[in-house]
Amino acid sequence: MAFEKLREQCIKNLMKDLKESVNEDNLIINAVNSIEELEKTGNMLVTRLREWYALYNPEFEKWMRDNAKFADLVIRKDRETLLREIRYTETMGADLSKRDLDAILMLAKQAKSNYDMIYDLKDYIEGVMRKHCPNILEIAGVMLAAKLLAKSGSLKRLSTFPASTIQILGAEKALFRHLKTGAKPPRHGILVQHPLVAQAKQKDHGKRARTLADKLSIASRVDYFKGKFIGDKLKKELENKFEVKF
Amino acid sequence: MEPYNKKFPGIYIRRGRKKEIYTLNLAKGQKVYGERTYKDKGIEYRQWNPERSKLAAGILKGISQTGIREDSLILYLGCASGTTVSHLSDICTKGFIFALDFSPRVMRDFHFMMQRRKNIAGFLASANHPEEYSEVPQVDVVFQDIAQRDQVGIFFKNYDKFLKPGGFGILSLKARSVDVTKKPGVIFKQVMDELNKKAIVVDYRKLDPYELDHALFVVKKRV
Repeated sequence: MAFEKLREQCIKNLMKDLKESVNEDNLIINAVNSIEELEKTGNMLVTRLREWYALYNPEFEKWMRDNAKFADLVIRKDRETLLREIRYTETMGADLSKRDLDAILMLAKQAKSNYDMIYDLKDYIEGVMRKHCPNILEIAGVMLAAKLLAKSGSLKRLSTFPASTIQILGAEKALFRHLKTGAKPPRHGILVQHPLVAQAKQKDHGKRARTLADKLSIASRVDYFKGKFIGDKLKKELENKFEVKF
Repeated sequence: MEPYNKKFPGIYIRRGRKKEIYTLNLAKGQKVYGERTYKDKGIEYRQWNPERSKLAAGILKGISQTGIREDSLILYLGCASGTTVSHLSDICTKGFIFALDFSPRVMRDFHFMMQRRKNIAGFLASANHPEEYSEVPQVDVVFQDIAQRDQVGIFFKNYDKFLKPGGFGILSLKARSVDVTKKPGVIFKQVMDELNKKAIVVDYRKLDPYELDHALFVVKKRV
């Protein structure tokens, strides 16, 4: 065939291009997506675990709200200790045999390992980001910074966004509803997860999200072009403006 | 199983309850994207799914011609995982297809498909920068399927650089990418005017019910 040589060359180039196209962005995005999935499955497992374990020890199940701690304590301590800790002397749970209890603990171990993995992955993402984009990390925190990267696709793309786009990243549905029908525009997308916005009064949400997006936009550009570390300065500006600490 | 039309070599039609179009399978016994295959007198055909391929949707909507022949050289912009490209490679047994996409994720899938078919070459490049893949020769057909705001501008960049005089350009337009606030019909009309300035619009079809707010334009370059 006439293009045999060109095709060979293309395959070689393509393999090289694909190999070089992998960078920290892909690693962070995959890690943060898997955290979200682990959280989902972890909650599912613990819901079932609570239902199951409540047959044996309903008082503790009612008392302990935190899912991760619940799975952890169920494995480590037996029923009597747990009851004593929450000041109960009697229980209305059934007395299960060791075989039945082991089956419940198996599920508990699975759920716990889920939560442990989330913890480790967060640690890992923070390590990668400290090198790759320290400024965004400083302002937004680990999870929000990683989610911003995942939403935008890459650090390069995030740094080309105007601040207004960063402000409503994650609220695309509301934005297009606004553009199409003239409904109210969204104040913020995933930025609402940031403590600065989340802890504000309802009427300050828009204002704070806007300012936060400004600073994030500056930070992303500094990070993409590998500038100096100015995250602490930007963070202080935010804190002074709204007189809060985060 | 019978040939579809004289103007569409390599495409076969099977009339059952619904019209279904097929192409001859070039890589025997292998599927590309989980499509249905059909054997007739020992020859294997692959079904061309109009829900996944805008060209197939255009053909089933009755577009009059596409200019794709058995010996065509095709430049395919926005190939993604190679669903449509695999069917084009079935059709153009004596031709050659240059395909490109700028997303590494989908080119990875494309790469595996490409290794089983001898008449495809892929590039990891952006269609907005034709200088990145300037080793592509003059071609007979330019096909574009990218969801960008400046779809027509990008199309004409490649049209000017790579298309032979008398060759065909096929543009699959996603109206929602151009402007979400305008009605698709208005955008189709605008694009038609723009295309008519430089080229001859041969035919165009809206692609519903297969794809919403999409249209397929076929243009011919003046000799």
